[in-house]
Amino acid sequence: MSCEDLNPMPQARAFRRSPDEVMRLARMGCSHPTRLSFLRQLLLRMQAESWRFDRPVWEIDAKGVGYAVYRAIGPARTYSLVAFAHDLPPEARSDRVIATAWDATFTLFDGTPTPDDLDRLAANVPLQEAGRVSPRELSLSRANRSVRLFEHVVERLAKGLQPDPAMLLETGYLMRTTAVYGSGKFGAVDRSAIAQRPEMRAPFQAEMLSVWLTRAFTVDLVEHLARAKGGETAVRLASELKRGLGVGNSTGLGMAPFLIRHPILLNNWMLAREEALARVRAQFTVGAAQLAQLHSTLEAARENAALWTSAHDIQIAKLADLRASLNQIADHVAQGWDQTTPHPWDDLWRWGQDVLPLEGQEALLAAILEPHGALIDGLGDCMEADESAHFAINGAMPVGDLRAILKAQYGWALRPDYTARAQCARFWYVSEDKLEPRLGERHEEPGAERELPLDTGRQAAALWQALQEQPDDLPVAHVLLAAPEHRPAVRRAQITARHPFAEIRDNLISAEMLPIDILRCKLAFFGATRFDPRSDRWVRISLFQGAPFPDEMNGDCHEA
Amino acid sequence: MKHEVRREAELELSLSEITALSARAARGAGRSWGESEEVGEAACWLARAGQDWAGAVLEVLDAAEDGGDCALRVGIVLADTAALSVPIKTKLPMINSPFFLLPFAARLADQAGQRIRLDWADTQVVLAPGACPSITGSVGIAGPAQVTITPDPQDKTPSPDWPPTHRGTVLATQYARLMQFMMASTVPTSASSLAGAGAGGNDDD
Repeated sequence: MSCEDLNPMPQARAFRRSPDEVMRLARMGCSHPTRLSFLRQLLLRMQAESWRFDRPVWEIDAKGVGYAVYRAIGPARTYSLVAFAHDLPPEARSDRVIATAWDATFTLFDGTPTPDDLDRLAANVPLQEAGRVSPRELSLSRANRSVRLFEHVVERLAKGLQPDPAMLLETGYLMRTTAVYGSGKFGAVDRSAIAQRPEMRAPFQAEMLSVWLTRAFTVDLVEHLARAKGGETAVRLASELKRGLGVGNSTGLGMAPFLIRHPILLNNWMLAREEALARVRAQFTVGAAQLAQLHSTLEAARENAALWTSAHDIQIAKLADLRASLNQIADHVAQGWDQTTPHPWDDLWRWGQDVLPLEGQEALLAAILEPHGALIDGLGDCMEADESAHFAINGAMPVGDLRAILKAQYGWALRPDYTARAQCARFWYVSEDKLEPRLGERHEEPGAERELPLDTGRQAAALWQALQEQPDDLPVAHVLLAAPEHRPAVRRAQITARHPFAEIRDNLISAEMLPIDILRCKLAFFGATRFDPRSDRWVRISLFQGAPFPDEMNGDCHEA
Repeated sequence: MKHEVRREAELELSLSEITALSARAARGAGRSWGESEEVGEAACWLARAGQDWAGAVLEVLDAAEDGGDCALRVGIVLADTAALSVPIKTKLPMINSPFFLLPFAARLADQAGQRIRLDWADTQVVLAPGACPSITGSVGIAGPAQVTITPDPQDKTPSPDWPPTHRGTVLATQYARLMQFMMASTVPTSASSLAGAGAGGNDDD
């Protein structure tokens, strides 16, 4: 549904950024998590509803092999992470999606699993893509140990010592997931079957819950192995060290096409965030509590930026921009910012637009949203999408109207010369071996005839050309009858007319295009931190770093 | 000699798997991406209604793609022109796999906001806006046939509820054929793509 008509602050609209500014890859590739990010939404809900957590099953041996069940008990339903721990020889450990064995495998079960359920899951979950799950499962995932840190922590705890804090900070996680599948993949329940549940309404809540419980499992596992090794001498991981551990994640190209193939969802994520920014900019005053929270948010952001490292050239430059920007913002907030003007938050924002690089501007966005929970958190309800409701093409639309949409929304697409080598250098395809999206070099590799329709700009430009000779009053259905190849572009244009943030406004097959920009935008909406590209097409990130553990939430936590 | 009747193995797929598999199979069979996405949505609709979605998809993909008797082509025109074709009364040409028309005709019913009826051979299907199809007569895949579409008075048989499931079944042989079509839409991963897509060396840190 569209929340536009329900907007309690229509006056904020005047402060919204335009899609032409927001939907560029250079800016999307500087996205930061905000309080609207999906993992924040999950944690905020579980705290507000006093969810309880327990671990009714822990059948793990002294070598760390076995299974465990973690439950999250909400007001209406219970969800259980079923974790299988394996004995993985070092040579079999790979983060690539093409791997076939992992240190641990997981599924999020709908309810509390019976012994029969656990038997069924034990026969399938460890196989991942080669197994099948059922409509009782909401996700399927796996993780590998961060071997060096994992072993260090076990060694130290076994001896009754805490691990080296510097090592913990450097890696930031004991395990990293290498894939988290949901939404009907490999037999799991379809999103449409659970999207009506309040706790699953926001995007990716099942996947986020699965990863958050996985984080608890990783700590329990090192403590268990330390006890097995050190006996009475062993100690538990100190809570302040534990808090700094997240779950790592390796993510490659497979995630990038998602944002292109789900334009309405992308629009709703972006629009919610942009409306949040506009609402903050429309405020007349700066309250003392908000100012204090802004200071603490900036301080936390600076600490995070100091610990955030990468060996990738592009990210190194961005991190330098970020650190310098955060210092500038903190100085300006402390000294230069006039809070007595009619729209002080807007002034702060405009100052940032003038003096900060993109990385700093987007960090400022995240920072100024933070003290405004009451004003913006409700926007989280607008980030889902019923995409099937917008699938039908309106064939009655006159060509003149379609042309007007292209002119208004697709200027970015009509400019490039797609016959130029660099403007069509890449093609997206599905790989034969793993059925995963990949990016090929059009002029050097075979397979371009099997290209995925992710060349959105080129398609829009081709549609524009095809409409040139057509009369304004001709229904679009007649154009499509003669030229069905323009169907995807017509559908996207009609969607974009009603959802202005639906398109990434860049040429996605250009030689200049960086897939990591798409990944960073999506991962920021997840709530990921420590974005660390390892090439221009795959990254490591961290999830839930600094977040509470189940036993630190409002509700009770019991161990069996 | 003793004969044993063996039921062919069935697989259960989620709706998102059905949509993706059908769309990619259509692409592998040479349909344009726009048409392939329509095949995916149509297969999903048929699966939700508890019908033989895979049989319908395969019948369409096995037929000549550019014929005027292609249910996919005819269905797309039907859905695209939904807003242009009121009042509804259509006698369509001979169509292969008329069953595949149903998801598209359903959009016509949605758009018109009224119940419509499709008749062919001994099959009669009533489609109410947003509702599960009400089918009488043969439900098997049987074409070609001549289909007529007429408005259906409001006071007839109530439409059945959508089955409370979000799955669809497929025979193992159907699944194998759909996968075969789908694989024709894939590309062998190149060495350079493999090198850039993930870690080349040791992943442990």
